[in-house]
Amino acid sequence: MAGGITRVALDGRMDIAGAAVVDLRMNLIAGSARKLLIDLKKVDFLGSMGLRSIVIPARAVKSRGGKVVLFAPNEMVESVLKTSGIDSLLPVCHDLDAAIAELG
Amino acid sequence: MPAMLTPENSMTAPCPSSLPASPLSWPEQRLTLKSQLEELALVWPWVEAIAARYSVSAETQFAIQLCLEEALSNIIRHGYQGQANQSISIACTVECAAAGVEREDAGEIVFTVEDHAPPFDPLAASGDVPTPAPVTFDDFPPGNQGIRLMRKFSNRLSWQQLPDGNRLILGFDLRRS
Repeated sequence: MAGGITRVALDGRMDIAGAAVVDLRMNLIAGSARKLLIDLKKVDFLGSMGLRSIVIPARAVKSRGGKVVLFAPNEMVESVLKTSGIDSLLPVCHDLDAAIAELG
Repeated sequence: MPAMLTPENSMTAPCPSSLPASPLSWPEQRLTLKSQLEELALVWPWVEAIAARYSVSAETQFAIQLCLEEALSNIIRHGYQGQANQSISIACTVECAAAGVEREDAGEIVFTVEDHAPPFDPLAASGDVPTPAPVTFDDFPPGNQGIRLMRKFSNRLSWQQLPDGNRLILGFDLRRS
């Protein structure tokens, strides 16, 4: 994406099995990204292990002074994010322009 | 054991839309797993089949799957501590309210999870005090999310110590659409 933004689109179930599939690639991407947009639009399930697969790379990016935004979770996935409290550390946006602005 | 409904449960009428004249409990359905994370793949189609049979909403089905994943993975990783050939049983019962009763709910779907691991009360371990929102990532240990999610997404959560293990009971309201 423009503006040095790296967009990672996750797809499917972020349960234990799904987390295992994406963990390595997420961590590789987080190793170089400075502005990371994690697109959750096509994620239809999120459990605590899936949450971990989001939080660990996000922490890595932010620890280097980067920015991370969670984009377009469905209602139930967003409820998991809010229950965990991670939404107090990472902005959750449903509008792409707003997400890009957060990363600016 | 493959994930399947037991043959005696041949009910075709979905619970919430076809309420009986009096309160009714549907026959129990049961799934037995080995204590391996790979076995969780058997749970989702089992839950989906039950959800379809009883017209469980997508939101409640999400909540059931979330709570079962958290409960079962905790048992496998912490209760059995990596012993791969122990067993976990899950029983599902559905209770419908009587027809004509003036109330919003149409009954309850209950999952009872039993293991033979050392006694561990997850509710006591997590406490009743809500955890404040994290201020930094150091306040956010991902491993502590399971109980918090189960408390939020189930309507009833309780633990019982068995003579040789643990019983966790997760209840979810069935609402009229």
